[in-house]
Amino acid sequence: MILNGTKTIQNNPLVKQLPTATVFTNKKFEVIYASDKFMSDFSFEAKNTFGKPINELFTTLSDNWEKKLYNYLTDESHDANLNYTLKSAAGSKWYKWACTAWQNDTGETIGLIIHFEDITEKKLKNEEGDRLQSLLDAMCEISQIGVWDYDILNDKLVCCDVIRKIYDVDQDYEFTFDAAISSYKDGYSRNTVSMLVHETMSKGTKWNEKLQFRTSKGKEIWVQIAGMPTYLDGKIVGVKGTLQNIEKEVQSETKTKENELLLRTLIDNLPLNVFIKDTESRKILVNKSECDYMGVDNADKLLGKSDFELFNEDVASLSRAEDLQVMETLIPILSRETINETKDGRIATFLTSKIPLLGNNGKAQGLVGISMDISDIKQKEQELRDLINVTSQQNRKLVNFAHIVSHNLRSHTANFSMLLDFLTNEKNEEEKTHIVKMLTHASDNLLETLENLNEVVAINTNINLERKPIRLNQRIVSVKRNLKEFLVNNNAKIINAISEHTAIKVIPSYIDSILMNFITNAVKYKHPDRPPLITLSAISENGFIVLSIEDNGLGIDLKKYGDKLFGMYKTFHDHSDSRGIGLYITKNQIEAMNGKVTVASEVGVGTTFKIYFNEQN
Amino acid sequence: MNKIESICIIDDDPITVFGIQKMLSLVVDCSDITVYRNGKLAIEGIKKRIEENKKTPQVIFLDINMPIMDGWQFLDEFITLNLTDKVRVNIITSSIDTLDLQNWEDFKKKTAHTITFNNKPIRKEHVAEITKIA
Repeated sequence: MILNGTKTIQNNPLVKQLPTATVFTNKKFEVIYASDKFMSDFSFEAKNTFGKPINELFTTLSDNWEKKLYNYLTDESHDANLNYTLKSAAGSKWYKWACTAWQNDTGETIGLIIHFEDITEKKLKNEEGDRLQSLLDAMCEISQIGVWDYDILNDKLVCCDVIRKIYDVDQDYEFTFDAAISSYKDGYSRNTVSMLVHETMSKGTKWNEKLQFRTSKGKEIWVQIAGMPTYLDGKIVGVKGTLQNIEKEVQSETKTKENELLLRTLIDNLPLNVFIKDTESRKILVNKSECDYMGVDNADKLLGKSDFELFNEDVASLSRAEDLQVMETLIPILSRETINETKDGRIATFLTSKIPLLGNNGKAQGLVGISMDISDIKQKEQELRDLINVTSQQNRKLVNFAHIVSHNLRSHTANFSMLLDFLTNEKNEEEKTHIVKMLTHASDNLLETLENLNEVVAINTNINLERKPIRLNQRIVSVKRNLKEFLVNNNAKIINAISEHTAIKVIPSYIDSILMNFITNAVKYKHPDRPPLITLSAISENGFIVLSIEDNGLGIDLKKYGDKLFGMYKTFHDHSDSRGIGLYITKNQIEAMNGKVTVASEVGVGTTFKIYFNEQN
Repeated sequence: MNKIESICIIDDDPITVFGIQKMLSLVVDCSDITVYRNGKLAIEGIKKRIEENKKTPQVIFLDINMPIMDGWQFLDEFITLNLTDKVRVNIITSSIDTLDLQNWEDFKKKTAHTITFNNKPIRKEHVAEITKIA
């Protein structure tokens, strides 16, 4: 055995052969025995090693090495370790010093036994693990995605800090599987998460779900939870996954959806046709009004189609030109009146606006169209205009009539006044009788005038007399029969070229009067050199049946008399039986049936009257 | 009594013609009063007088509403006649139509003849006043 202070040191063969790097030191920590492994591990030479204190061999020992080693000499547990780093060209090596007190046979501590364990590899591995752990922590922290791990065997759930934040629990809160599951909202969410975790445990499925969750403080939030199995030796031993608070995203998504719905509802319920077209003028959005107008029940039937597929060629070309103009100039077209004709021939008037839709590059990527169907307004406008025309026409007639009445009555009363004046001052009995005769004549004239005026008033007030469809030919035959004697006496001939089927909607008494008047006029104003020939014919034209009455009579100089031909008390031929009332009444009767009358004439050749019978109302 | 060489009445109403004639007989001394039933007959008659070198009327009583050729149409032609003396044309009408008054104003500007517009009924005194040489 070796004693303290021995100069010659003999290595112990037992220690020499130890498989580990081991040294035995005395109480001064001078090397007494050392294993070969120790010598080779640290590349020590025997002469520089034995008897030398440990701190001289390991120059990079920390300052408190001696204190620590002393502790080991006295410490009964002898269990603490000392770490030592050896730096060489090959890099750092880490060693763990396991120290044990060296005792002699009597149990007295005589030194220290130190085992050197190379822990470099272990140390590096730990460092790698630490680095990965910190990376994971950072990732969780930044992404706010928490990780969790459930150990099935030990029924232990481990969660990271992010998950603590989501659960809104303290650092010392201990997670349990059951509590975690019951944090999900009762019903769909809880059922789903239970089922998914169970499936992972039994089948190893992976999943990712959006569920509703209640924090420890009772706040309801949306979370995204994902899970996958943990395998050990091919067997599922756990479930791990991520958890993320997506309340904000869900809220903004909900908000976006709500906004979208709001916009859609608004667009669909606008009483305007709204559409969006791409640069090729194909529809990429249409609202309900547009669908209704186009007569489709589904927007898909319009989407992707261009105007050329929906409207007739002319309308589509015009519309496409407008689209191009708007998209090129970026100047919107606002409230332009356009007439659209669909493929099935429906025509409607629109007030259309086209607004360019700008892309990120500042160029138009399409356009928004808004059009309002103003067909009804247009029609009302037209009706109003028609009504104004009718009214002003009526008004003109009324003024005209007022003049006629005033003129005729005035001329008669003036005559009365004058004749009465004569009568009072007349002494001569014979002259008196003459004046009285004239007064009687004036009175008769006045009566006749009143009757005529009355007839005109009747025509214009009884405009609501019912119009009945009649066969034109039947009435002509009837009128001819009534005029038979008159026609024969004048050697007149009537050629009737009207079809047996021609029917007109008229007031029966008026049509007789009209036919009678035109035929008698034609005979009355016959040319002295030839027997009267009257040709009757009828055609259908623009909603009118046009009856044409052509004669070969005297003719009228329309330049001179055209504007007076249908006037009251206008006569143009020196006939004793011209009263100048017939054509005036005839014209009133025709107009009372919404018809009209035109005349063409050549002096010495003949006259043609055309009577337009309105087929509508 | 005022003496007029030639007067003409153009009117299709026999009562008015009778009245004018009667009043004329009381207010003027005229042995040549011609009546025409419308404007056409009147213009033809006056033209014939010119051809025959007869005295043309110095005063004309003219109705407006007449068949064939009315008062205005008559005036249209009348003012183109080549007459040496100014003629007084008295329009006698029951019309109060502003259009007729407008026509009257137009004709006054178009011709050197005197044209007056008189509404019926007319009185003897008034006839005396308007029956003189223009």
